Amino acid sequence: MTMDELDPVIHASARLKITATLATLPVGDQIAFPRLQELLGMTAGNLSTHLRKLEDAGYVDVVKSHQGRTPATYLALSRSGRRAFEDYLEALRALLGESA
Amino acid sequence: MNNNTTDGDEPLVDPRATLALLEGQQREVLNAQQAPVIWMYFIWGITWFVGFLALWSGDVDGNPWFTIPGYVATPVFIVMLVASIVASAVLGIRINRGVRGASVFSGAVYGLSWTACGTAFAVLGTGLISQGLSPELANLYFPAAYALMCGTIYLGGAALWRDVSQLVLGLVLLAVGAASSFAGSPGNDLVLALGVGGAFLIAAGTLAVRRRQGR
Repeated sequence: MTMDELDPVIHASARLKITATLATLPVGDQIAFPRLQELLGMTAGNLSTHLRKLEDAGYVDVVKSHQGRTPATYLALSRSGRRAFEDYLEALRALLGESA
Repeated sequence: MNNNTTDGDEPLVDPRATLALLEGQQREVLNAQQAPVIWMYFIWGITWFVGFLALWSGDVDGNPWFTIPGYVATPVFIVMLVASIVASAVLGIRINRGVRGASVFSGAVYGLSWTACGTAFAVLGTGLISQGLSPELANLYFPAAYALMCGTIYLGGAALWRDVSQLVLGLVLLAVGAASSFAGSPGNDLVLALGVGGAFLIAAGTLAVRRRQGR
């Protein structure tokens, strides 16, 4: 196993931080886009770009809803996204010689 | 290296730095959730410590060094209590803001338990007074009941969120609240100021230090 073989969808600093943040949510919870943006300190545009890549890979579920008249976007790791993150973490630890 | 850094991302070439980035981000998220909790412990620590020291000093049989007039001590206590309740409500809402889903129910029940238990203990105390509970015993009952209420709810919080700080705090509050009655009135005010106020302040300090150390 080398760094090159790590899941390329997650293995980019912005997407790594996004998946790491979403992984702290308990299963069944979703986080609002502005709050996620605040926790990551990213611009809305940059966050949207990376979220789209994660969504295209099937790692992130995007739920669009309305709070009153205001549209709201909620995000969560999908089941495969959570599994991919756990596999990524395990692979990274294996690279460092740590057991999972 | 994969071609995955074309979007302005910093390249991830070192596994140790990558793991540090990942763990650092998760720690930041947990710290952001914990900050309001530290503030709550601090605010309630000050309220129990200063508020009950004021009540103890407002009783002629209390503080041997100086006495505060009762018309000052009681309002000080009430104002601090109300301010802390308002601050807790505001901070409590901030802890999990922007999150919806399964855990929201747990959080809502936890939040409701403070209001429900607080009201129930107040009604019970009022009922006991209506049945002849003396002012001296009421002075023992009310603060002890609220220390026990806080202790019990913190044990629930510890179970919900696997939070050791709430477990320790809950056990200390139960012990101090139960034992305070043996000190009689107004000695119980001093026991609660030091025991409950001290426990909250130590919990706030411990979490703040651990947070700064990145643990």
